[in-house]
Amino acid sequence: MDLRKLKKLIDLVEESGISELELTEGEEKVRISRQMQGQMMQYAPSYIQAQAPQVAAPAEAEVAAVDGHVMKSPMVGTFYRSPSPEAKAFVEIGASVSVGDTLCIIEAMKLLNTIEADHSGVIKAILVENGHPVEYGEPLFIIG
Amino acid sequence: MLLVDILHCEDAVKSLTVNNHTFPVLRLLSDGDFHSGQTLGEQLGISRAAVWNAIKEAQELGVEIHSVHGKGYRLSSAIDFLDADRINHALNSTARNFTLELLETTTSTNSDLMKRAAADAPQGTCIAAELQQAGRGRRGRAWVSSLGSGLTFSLLWRFSQGAVALGGLSLAVGVALVRALSEVGITQLALKWPNDVLHADKKLAGTLIELQGEMLGPTAAVIGIGLNIKLPDEVKTGIDQPVADLTEAGNLQAPPRNELLAVLLRHLYDVLSEFEQQGFTALRDEWQQHHAHHGKLAQLTLPNGLLKTGIVNGIDADGALLVNVGGQVQRFSTAEISLRSPA
Repeated sequence: MDLRKLKKLIDLVEESGISELELTEGEEKVRISRQMQGQMMQYAPSYIQAQAPQVAAPAEAEVAAVDGHVMKSPMVGTFYRSPSPEAKAFVEIGASVSVGDTLCIIEAMKLLNTIEADHSGVIKAILVENGHPVEYGEPLFIIG
Repeated sequence: MLLVDILHCEDAVKSLTVNNHTFPVLRLLSDGDFHSGQTLGEQLGISRAAVWNAIKEAQELGVEIHSVHGKGYRLSSAIDFLDADRINHALNSTARNFTLELLETTTSTNSDLMKRAAADAPQGTCIAAELQQAGRGRRGRAWVSSLGSGLTFSLLWRFSQGAVALGGLSLAVGVALVRALSEVGITQLALKWPNDVLHADKKLAGTLIELQGEMLGPTAAVIGIGLNIKLPDEVKTGIDQPVADLTEAGNLQAPPRNELLAVLLRHLYDVLSEFEQQGFTALRDEWQQHHAHHGKLAQLTLPNGLLKTGIVNGIDADGALLVNVGGQVQRFSTAEISLRSPA
């Protein structure tokens, strides 16, 4: 299932107000479940709650492929897929990764955070575009 | 680390292999006096042709060398090479907090130290390079240092906390730089969010921090710092923003690089210890005292290209920039800030 389709599905879930959607297409199965703001915030450390009052966490959609693991952003910042604009991306869709491999960099206030895979497998989807801002808990990759 | 923000990246990432004889020849020339090719060759046990090749390469690396018939070669100005003994001497009793590693040339002290950090290098490991050929600035901008024109180094600090708790770290480093530069007599210092050090509104030093570790901690922070000491004019004009160097910023002569590095390391150690124990909150007021843009009308360029204009309203407890946009205070953790003159 391609990224665009996945994004459309997420939008659909968000707009409709339903809490969960499961879809099977061939061998692939995707389940999108929506968590309400209150629930989301439980996962955020108290630090975020105290310091980020105006970042109204949107009703975030959580993407979960049944045989995939969702890597979420551990922080607020800018998502970079490569160490520099000229350099090759750390990973592409279809790449095999092991725990500890660098997947991306998230930059905030000149801190470049190397984000490593917390799961081994194949990159099934890259959910954020290079150079775009990410929120805490936003899904970044699906590793199958 | 980062020294000069230049537009032509490809020039900066030129050849990385340096002739074996180039640095030995430069060390002999570092006193700024004339040395004949023959004497240099004899001292190093190499031919005059090899000396000539080394000189030629040094010139390609940006070192200005005069060649006068009958007298030999001379540097246009003496180079104060990094020297571990002098740095340790200047660090005095605090030398035990650091493990120094001095390189002649490298692609990036940050990249080197990231590798060392993964291989369990101790906290306080500091890699400094005479010449950095592919330094990384934020967003992959290339930074170059020409020999002796600056101080580029990276320092390793190990935090028990995870990355999210380290939000204000780069601002804390800015505070350390201002303290150190004030100590050596530099005035008109200010901080541009998040952590550029300005002298008379021009960039004097920059920082880039790379983190590696578990999200809940511990985290290895590689803190890369570039400080301009004496930039050649052609470098100054080739940069996309106004830059300052210590030579123009200091009333007297710029402090020697070795002693300067010791002062910087000492203040970094103090500030990082404070940050580790109390977070950025303890350093926030001091940062704000030096804030270059406080209360000013500024334009922010967000990573996705969006522009926001508003009055800078200080910084939050975690270091995020607060800007009053149309009557509402917003927080920013990634943006390029530039001043807008009121219409």
